[in-house]
Order: sequence, then C-alpha cells, then structure tokens
Amino acid sequence: MSGRVLLWRLLAALPLLLGISLVLFCVIHLAPGGPLDIYADNPAVTPAALARIAQAYGLDRPLPVQYGLWLRAMLTGDWGFSIRTGRPVVREIVERLGPTLQLGTVAMTIAFVASVALGVLAAVEEGRRLDRAVSMVTLVGLSIPVFWLGLVLQYLLSVRLGWLPSAGLESIGGSSVGDRLAHLVMPAAVLAFATSAGWTRYLRAGMIDALRQDYIRTAYAKGLSTRAVLLRHALPNAIVPAISIIALDLASLISGAVITEAVFAWPGVGSLFVESMDGRDYPVLMGVLMMGSAAVILANIAADLIQAALDPRLRS
Amino acid sequence: MLATVAGPGCGPARRRDDNTLVVGLTYDLDTLNVYSTGFLGDVEAAVVEGLLAPDAHARYVPVLAITVPTVANGGIVVAPDGRGMTITYKLREGVRWHDGAPFTAADVAFTWRAVRNPAFVAESKDGAEAIVAIDTPDPFTVVCRYDRITPTFAATLFTFGILPKHLLDGVDLNTSAYNERPVGTGPFMVKEFRRGQYVVTERNPLYWRRDAAGRAFPAIDRLIFKIIPNSNTLLTQLRSGELDLVTQTPYDQAKQMRHVAGVELLRSPLLSWQHLDFNFRNPTLRDPVVRRAIAHAIDRSVLVRVNGGFQTPVKSVVVPIFDFYDPDAPEHRYDPVEARRLLDAAGYTVQPDGVRARGAARLAYRFVCQAGKGDDELAQQVILAQLKAIGIAATADNRTGVAYRQARYKGDYDLNYSSWVTGVDPVYSRFFATHGANNGQGYSNPAMDHILARMEGTLDPGERRRAAFEMQHLLAIDLPTIPLTSGAAVVSMSERLRGFTPNPTNMTPFVGCADWRLA
Repeated sequence: MSGRVLLWRLLAALPLLLGISLVLFCVIHLAPGGPLDIYADNPAVTPAALARIAQAYGLDRPLPVQYGLWLRAMLTGDWGFSIRTGRPVVREIVERLGPTLQLGTVAMTIAFVASVALGVLAAVEEGRRLDRAVSMVTLVGLSIPVFWLGLVLQYLLSVRLGWLPSAGLESIGGSSVGDRLAHLVMPAAVLAFATSAGWTRYLRAGMIDALRQDYIRTAYAKGLSTRAVLLRHALPNAIVPAISIIALDLASLISGAVITEAVFAWPGVGSLFVESMDGRDYPVLMGVLMMGSAAVILANIAADLIQAALDPRLRS
Repeated sequence: MLATVAGPGCGPARRRDDNTLVVGLTYDLDTLNVYSTGFLGDVEAAVVEGLLAPDAHARYVPVLAITVPTVANGGIVVAPDGRGMTITYKLREGVRWHDGAPFTAADVAFTWRAVRNPAFVAESKDGAEAIVAIDTPDPFTVVCRYDRITPTFAATLFTFGILPKHLLDGVDLNTSAYNERPVGTGPFMVKEFRRGQYVVTERNPLYWRRDAAGRAFPAIDRLIFKIIPNSNTLLTQLRSGELDLVTQTPYDQAKQMRHVAGVELLRSPLLSWQHLDFNFRNPTLRDPVVRRAIAHAIDRSVLVRVNGGFQTPVKSVVVPIFDFYDPDAPEHRYDPVEARRLLDAAGYTVQPDGVRARGAARLAYRFVCQAGKGDDELAQQVILAQLKAIGIAATADNRTGVAYRQARYKGDYDLNYSSWVTGVDPVYSRFFATHGANNGQGYSNPAMDHILARMEGTLDPGERRRAAFEMQHLLAIDLPTIPLTSGAAVVSMSERLRGFTPNPTNMTPFVGCADWRLA
C-alpha cells in the first residue's frame, strides 16, 4: 500500500465516521429511558424542575438539532460535558484509557504469544493427542461466558484461597508494582483466555493449510530445518488471514473489554461505557462509541498494511 | 459450589488490622455535591453536615445548629399577618471546616444564595425559593425570612449540607473541583477520589463532636467507599472480606449473604411506598365501588413475596415510621369474595368473555408502569392476575423514561403502578391536592384540598398530625390510590462493626457514621 493509498483510506474513513455517528446517535436515543430517569421516584423533583434540568442540558430540543449541535462541537474538538458528572467527556474518557490499555496490552500480548505457539504446535501435530487437547481447550474458551469464568476464578483464588484480590485496579492507599500485578492477573488471564481461543483456531487452520502447500515441500527438499520451515515459510502465510480477526480484537484495546472490566471492577473505558449506558449519559456514550469506531477503522487499515507487508501479492 | 464458604481468616483483606472500614457502593458516583447528585448522598453524609439531620426515627435533630427551631422554643416566629415566618438558627460555635477555617453564619447564607442561583443545575432546590432574605446579625445567628408558612422547611436546604463560602464564593458550582473534593465540617474528610474506583476519606481531627468521656469522634480512622456496580462482584468482595459494609445489598444477592461467616444482615426500612393509582377520567374508575373492589382484590403478601420478601405491606401512604402515621386508618383487606360481591351488587356482571360489564361499560383497563424496572413489572403481573380473578381485565402498557413520566403526569393510563421515595417531611399535596404537581390522576376533592392546606399551612405539630390523620381517613374512603408496600434496604455488614444505626431517610445511614467503631 503506497502512502497515497493510505492517505486515501484515512480520508475515506471520515465520511464513514460521520455515517456511524448518525446511526449511533439515533440508536442511543431510540434506547428506552433517558438521563433524567434517575429522578423518577423522587416526588420533590417536579415536572417544572425536570423541565429546567432538561433545558440546561439541551435535552428539550428536537433530536436533529441536538445531533447538529453535537456534530458542530465535535468537529471543533469539543466532545461536550457528561450529564452525570458535569465534567468534560474527553477527561472522563482519558482517565479510563490508562487502565484499559494496561489490561488490554497485557491480555493481548499473552493471547498472541499463546495462540501462535498453540496454533503452530496443533497444526504440526494435527490429529494427534496434542492437537485434540488444543481443540478441546479452545472450544471451552469460546464457549464459556467470560463473566462466569471471572466469577469462578474470583471464588477460587480470592474467597477460598485468598491468593489474589478479587477486583479493582490496585489496593487503596498503597500500591506497588507487585500489588498492581496481583490485581491484573485474573482479569488479564480471563481476557487472554477468551481472546486466544478464537485466534488459536484461526492460526491452526491457517498453518494446516500452509503446511500442505508445495513450497513447504520445496523448503524441506532444500534441506531447511523444521524450525525454519515452520517459522519462516509456513507461519507468515498462516498469519495473513488471521491478521484481520486479530486486528478487530485489538480495537478493544481502546474501547475496553466491557464484561471483563465490569466483573473485575476495572475502571476502564468498558466500565465507563456500562455506567454511561445505565445513566443514559448521551455525550459520554457518543464519545466512547465514536472512539471505539475510529479504533476499529484504524485497526482495519493497520491490518491491511500488515497483510501487505507480509504478502507481496497484496501490495499492488 | 458457591454455598460453601471458607471460614473467616481467609482472603488477603480479612487480615486487615488497621482501623479502616471499607464500604461497597452499588452505583458509580456522579458528583460529591449533595445538591446536584442524582443518588442518595452516602459519601456526602460522612463529609458534609447540615444544620439539622433526620435520625433513625425520621425526626430532626440538631447538628450544626444548637436546637431545632420550633414555634415553642421561639426559633420560628409567624409574621403578624400570618403569611410569612422567620426562622432563627443559633449555630454551634467552635466548628471548623476541614481546612481549619471557622464555620459561621456567612456560610449558611451563602449556601442559600448558591443553591438558589438559577445557573446552578441542581435537582434539590427545594425550600430555597420560599426564603426571601437571610440576615446574619452575628457570626452564629442566622435569621431566615420566609414569604409563606413552610412547615417542611427542613426537608432539603440546610439539612442536606452547608457549603463553605470561603472556598466557593464566585465559583461555578456546576464545574467546580468541589464536586470531587467537597470540604465540609463532617467527621470524615475526602482524601482521594478516583473516578470509577473509590473515595478515600480520613478521620477529621478537628471534628467538633465528643463522646460522653470527652473523646473526639469519629472512632474509625479511615472510611473507604469502593465503587462496585456488578452485584456478583460485590458479593464476592463481602465474602472475601475485602468489603465490610454494603448498605443497599441488591435483593437478588441478599439471600445468599444470609449464611456467610462474619457478615450480619440487617433490614432497614426506607421512606418509600409502592402504590396502584386510579385515573379518575375513566368513567368506571370514577365509581367508588370499582375502586373498593380492586382494593379488596389485591393480596399484598404475594407482592412482597415476588420481590424477595424484603418489603412490608402498608395500608397508608404515610409509611409507619412517621409520627403522622395513623394506625387506625381504615384498611381494605384482601378479600376477593367481598370484591366480587361489591361488583355484583353494583350490577357489574361477568360476561361470557370472563370480564365484568354493566351495560356498555366494561371493566377493562390500560395498566401502565415503568418499563425496565424489574420489581415494578413483577408486581404489575401479580396485580394483573389478581384483578383477573375478580373479573377485571387489565393489559400492561408499559412505557419508558420520558414517555412514562408524561403518562404519569398527564394521566395517560387507567391504572398506574409506581413508587415514591420521599424525604422526612413529604409534601402530600403534591400527590393529592387538585393542582398537585404529581397528581396526574384527575383526583379532586375540595375536602382533601382543605385538609392538605391546613396540614401544610400550620407550624403546630398537633394540628399537622390531626390533619394528617384526616387525610389518611379520607384517602381510605376516596381511594384515589391503593398503598401496597413499603421498601427496605438490606444492610450487609461485617460483625466487627459496632454502633451502626439504620437510617430510613434520604440522608442514608452514613449520617451517623461518627458513632461507628470497629471491634
């Protein structure tokens, strides 16, 4: 992909994002409820008071006007203010990015290393005991709900054994590197396990496919070691189709792992999304969703770039 | 598997020996400003104090004021023309803000101005408009002039909390840093607020209250609030000892907590009541016989059971915690036989389709409640079945959010099930006066208007109580609404915690946290 193509793809992403923003805006307003529902049971908040609060947040204006105002502000870099907290949306999100990146990077790294290793091994041992074991484990990983796995681990490792803190980013007050790692172990393990299950199966299939190709036989015939054949010839070919799947998952590095973060009270973007959803905090929801959408688009472009680098045929 | 639990002593946090209490919050904090938060101010009640506060029996006791002003003690003086009143608070001397600055009458006057400011987007401006002027003749005297008789003057303003003038004068309260690091006079000071994670508060060494032996309150060194919206995780943390106290245990988890070692459960009543409202615009619902029959058709014990058994059945809109509750108010007991007899006698006979009708008037209703509120929808299903049993057809027509609220205010329903949560001094005219803000039912009875005007236009407690009793009797006759149940909070607490008192009011149990100790 040349620089010009890249530029074109980035520019094409802009109208795409605009379309996404319109759809998202409609969808979150179609969802039942609204930010003022929190006052529903409080008789002291009279219809007049509600009207006053709605007016203060611009919620009384027609939806197209609200969208227009939001879009105009967004284009100038103003993401608006949270209805729940009154703080700038950008600040709300930036605060949550750190924990999300931390959890995501660790989990994705573990998932990537594990799935490459297991995918290659399973493909080499195709049909044998190791391959069947890997298939079994990845099937379990795909089938188990993340929240359930999280709860079971919390019960075993925190309640029963007392080895690890059950939730949170760090201990309150004093937090050392060890303390943060102890808090990171369970959520990262759960996220990595769930993520790597799918990746491993893709890589295994890709490797099996690659190992059947003629150039592999040629490579062996040239006298290359098994290691060189696997890693230098088969793996790059096996990885190309898996890249787009992996890239999509990588977008959650930014948008957060919603369920894992909720179960482990991890203060990331995923948790922020859930809380904003509960409170129908439209400006924050739009901010988080737009950022997530941009991340998916960028991840896709990155995936194409990497695929092109790995596969000369895609470069033209 | 989850039913078996390791004994105490397991879990890293169980071995904590420092004098810290860790509280689990089931919601993510929006702001720590009591006047603008959408939640009950748990954290705020530990940090910020008002002039008065409601106690465990929902009666006002003095906090930063020396006494609760009444007509009898001269704190309240009614204007000669009977149209306004003056309330004088004598303030406690020697109280200091967390930063050491002295607390004075200027702070009280500032709080009124700040809350009343139209630019401040606050949910709780109650009581601020009724005050026309505040004089501070000396630093410890506040004289508030009201343009009307306001017996419920203590409901929010000055009770919720006093704002520090020296820090907030001229500051935009909508965006101020105060909303994250509030400075109060309370027993605990906010040390750190991590969004989405926790609030750490520490013992206020300057706190003014002392126990009988002269020791300074509070007895606990640190009070930490952890934000854990996921109810399963909340339960796990209570089990592992990482949490010591949850004041609003989700009902679905409360049953599991019953057998956890080291954790005690406490049922704490709330000032809320669930009710079924009639719309008087519907011709058959205007018929008192139909309303009475419906009242006899509802078995409250089933309503309590479907929602976990934590609510209590009630017969009056005045919940029994209040002094105004009339135990002798008439009651419509569950009696489906009587319900059917009433309808038969009035000529509403069962038609071939199973629904009663008299001439063209069919007893079939549109039944609204708030969609998405699981407890409400469950109760609605029970009521639907119980109405069917006496030959009344109702169909659920549930709405969400704004649509629901509009339906409730404008009376766009036949039957409406909902809940009200009030402060200590509910203003009942909001519900039952002809022009009450929350009266979407079209209910209007001049006798009721008169009773409510008496109740809310006098400062004489005896007269108010008499009017409240009359209101309850008339409500039982007019039956614009059927009070069904009253809510309760389930408190899960570590057995180490001593001195905990439940508080049913919107001030939450944390209003009493200065008295808590850890064994």
